Amino acid sequence: MTSTTYEAAAPLRRRRNLPTAGTLQWLTWVVVVGLILGPFVPLLYASVRDRPLYEAGGAFTLSAYGDLLADPAFWRAARHTLEYAALTTAISVVAGAAVAILVTRTDLPGRKVFGRLTLLPLLLPSLGLVLGWIVVWGPGGYLSSLIQRHLHLGTLDINTIPGMSVIEATRLLPVAYMTCEAALARADSSLEDAARSAGATPLRVLRNVTIPMLRPALLNAGTLIFTLSIASLGIPLLLGTPHNIQFVSTYLYLQWTNAATPDSPIVSAGAVLLLAVATVLLLIRNRLLGAEARYVSVAGKAGRTALLSLRAWRWPLAALIALYLLFSTIVPVLGLALMSFVAFVTPLIAPWHLFTWSNWQLLGTGVYLRSIEHSALLALAGGIATTAVVALATLVAHRSRLPVRRSLPFVMLYPRAIPGLIIGIGFFWAYLLTGAPGSWLRQGIWGILLAFCIRNLPFAYVVMYPTMARIGEELDRAGRSVGAGWWRTCRSIVLPLLRPALFASFILMFVEILNDYDPALFLVRPGTEVIGTTMLDTFLQGIVGPVASLAMVQVGVTVLVLALGTFVFKIRVTGGHDA
Amino acid sequence: MPEIHVDSLVKQFGDQRALSDVSFHVAEGELFTLLGPSGCGKSTTLMSIAGFQSPEEGRIAVGGDVFFDASRRVSIPAERRNLGIVFQSYAVWPHMTVFQNLAFPLKVRKRKRAGIRERVHEVLDLVEMGDYGDRYPHQLSGGQQQRVALARALVYSPSVLLLDEPFSNLDAKLRERARAWVKELQSRLGLTTIFVTHDQDEALSMSDRVAVMSSGEVQQIGTPEEIYRRPSNRFVAGFVGRVNLLSGTVAAAERGRVALELPDGRKLWVDAEHTATPNARLTLAVRPEALRVEPADASTLNGSNTIEARVESVAFLGDHYQYELRAGGLVLTAQTARPVATDHVMVHIPADACAIVE
Repeated sequence: MTSTTYEAAAPLRRRRNLPTAGTLQWLTWVVVVGLILGPFVPLLYASVRDRPLYEAGGAFTLSAYGDLLADPAFWRAARHTLEYAALTTAISVVAGAAVAILVTRTDLPGRKVFGRLTLLPLLLPSLGLVLGWIVVWGPGGYLSSLIQRHLHLGTLDINTIPGMSVIEATRLLPVAYMTCEAALARADSSLEDAARSAGATPLRVLRNVTIPMLRPALLNAGTLIFTLSIASLGIPLLLGTPHNIQFVSTYLYLQWTNAATPDSPIVSAGAVLLLAVATVLLLIRNRLLGAEARYVSVAGKAGRTALLSLRAWRWPLAALIALYLLFSTIVPVLGLALMSFVAFVTPLIAPWHLFTWSNWQLLGTGVYLRSIEHSALLALAGGIATTAVVALATLVAHRSRLPVRRSLPFVMLYPRAIPGLIIGIGFFWAYLLTGAPGSWLRQGIWGILLAFCIRNLPFAYVVMYPTMARIGEELDRAGRSVGAGWWRTCRSIVLPLLRPALFASFILMFVEILNDYDPALFLVRPGTEVIGTTMLDTFLQGIVGPVASLAMVQVGVTVLVLALGTFVFKIRVTGGHDA
Repeated sequence: MPEIHVDSLVKQFGDQRALSDVSFHVAEGELFTLLGPSGCGKSTTLMSIAGFQSPEEGRIAVGGDVFFDASRRVSIPAERRNLGIVFQSYAVWPHMTVFQNLAFPLKVRKRKRAGIRERVHEVLDLVEMGDYGDRYPHQLSGGQQQRVALARALVYSPSVLLLDEPFSNLDAKLRERARAWVKELQSRLGLTTIFVTHDQDEALSMSDRVAVMSSGEVQQIGTPEEIYRRPSNRFVAGFVGRVNLLSGTVAAAERGRVALELPDGRKLWVDAEHTATPNARLTLAVRPEALRVEPADASTLNGSNTIEARVESVAFLGDHYQYELRAGGLVLTAQTARPVATDHVMVHIPADACAIVE
């Protein structure tokens, strides 16, 4: 080899600097920010008009806010919401943190399995789970009447605020668990070892080191859970409304659907207020996350020994967690399955006397079949579209020099804090005001898809971001240095390395969109139903059989897709919902 | 191979001044080293040349091409600068084989498939990795990955080569071999190269010229010998090797010689082209290995620049002994190849071994 062979190679062919990279980055930013924040503009506008936007004329006024705040029913609903959210937050944070500590810091038998199973309620269709609770624990439910008849004990009435809080808490407990588990896994165990070698007993270490270190995670999880339970619509609607317990979310929903003047500005005003509260809570959370950095110690070591030996408490505590998982998740799903095979739900007659296929046969007909087809199509298309757009936006946010890139992470996480019903109302007005494209979206299922995608896109981002952050920046700098432009570098180097996260994002999006419903309640019209809206609609009409079989379809597909993701693509879909 | 001109770079990170007025010039085919402790601005300088940092002021040109000119708001994107860079982490793309890693720059340049194959094999042979084309990076050792990184930086015949601490992830033995090998390859190919390191041995052994940097400024530029023997200030003297610093006032100055009076009244004669005014304060730098040390009772040393001293401590460092010596208020570090088996010694400070640093 001589220097001549080296010199022989031709130099880089000079090409014109195509403006593609910059244009693509700006386009991505505009589309993502526009779609996420855009719908709030018509919502705000609708709230300060004196009549619905589709009616001619109208003037600016704050009377909608005045009417809303003067309505005693609204204040009653607000009080209920506050009680409900506070109770839910307290239960799920305490229980979630306890499970997280047991799983990461003790020698609890089967702790890894428990850790995985605890996440289930987050991924299973929430509407279906609530239905399962009603079948099993509701008045006249299988287990509640069994316990009443044979043990002469009362069970918690799930049609009260505490009862609903317990159900909501089991649904949101995984959020607290994941946040705490992540914080504990991150925490440097040598801090705890140091306390032990200084003479503290394990319990003392737990009290004086481990739990204080967890404080920011607890606050963070608490704020998120509080926000999510304020916005919750399913449980209040299914359990509260029949017993005349109104919440802000159901108050707005029922105003929307039942009021004399449909789509009244009052609903928009209420939605704006709710949006303001959710936004303030999100900002508080961001401050807390900033504070959390103070507590972050360098990466924890793998394979550490259990800190706390539970001794005699090992099996009782394991049994307790097992019972919790059994009665909060597995039994409701079984109840749901049972419900889908009986003519009607009653503990007085043995279910096999009531056996029927009709609930399942109904799924092949009319609105049920249509809903399933729509949901499957939306989940598939939404999973692909959201993953693609979020991947691009994440690249712009973390791998470009676009001046406004730093706004993207915040904007992409924003929908997580926004109640689904606000997204629904926002998109309703947005479609109404954007002429032909808006009306095309409003007529078909694609309008619902867009709302679902925006609503669930934070999950795609939190799955992708950690993987992207682990791809060293020198890898793409190397791409640039050898002559590849921004997009070429992303396409050939960053995206291929991101592939596992892209699969995980798709799986998660598929499941979330399949099971989502509340934004669609404001957008659905005859002919564009999805599984969730049909379930809620049918249930409110007093028909439960096909609702159960629809829910079982959701459960079945969800479990199948998650299993596929876990075993075929080797993905761990835990979602990182804490980010 | 073109020259590199870097003029008056200024770069600010918030309140922190990362580069202030950094200028140098690299001649054709030269291996030019930026040496300094971490945070001195050497990597920022390199990344500015590569196009990953934009200084606030200054100008960078390679050959006839202006890469960056703050006053004319010119900044060529990194991908169009046609530079070869070896990164500290090597940045060998983990999802591509060695062959694909090398082929990528050529594909970007839209070269023909057959041409790519031929060129990749040619360069792999050049770095003695011809048999490893089908391997993935995780199947290679650190040293092999480094060769792949270098090959990838050479495969498209870049105008200059930039090396960002390429040896810092290798163990000590391998590092020495890699140094010699890279230096040999560089001079064989006649590549104009800028090399960034914090390791003075690396800088001295490989470079044609070295720029010593500290807190965003170039302290001194010179050949390794100049940097080592004639450090221009305290920082350079202290950073490049161990040094004794002796401060005093000028007692007399004649042609080519200066007499320095130390605080304890002793006088040292120093060879220096220095226009010293009497009573001005001066600091001298003397390398420990330049001191001559002999047992006091059997010493042949006498005359000027010879001091009687006591041995405070001695350390055996394999190929030499290191002494901490005290003579009145004066503390000196000396290196000898053989042990001096007494507590009292005579120390001679050769007049031609002293550099005036302040």
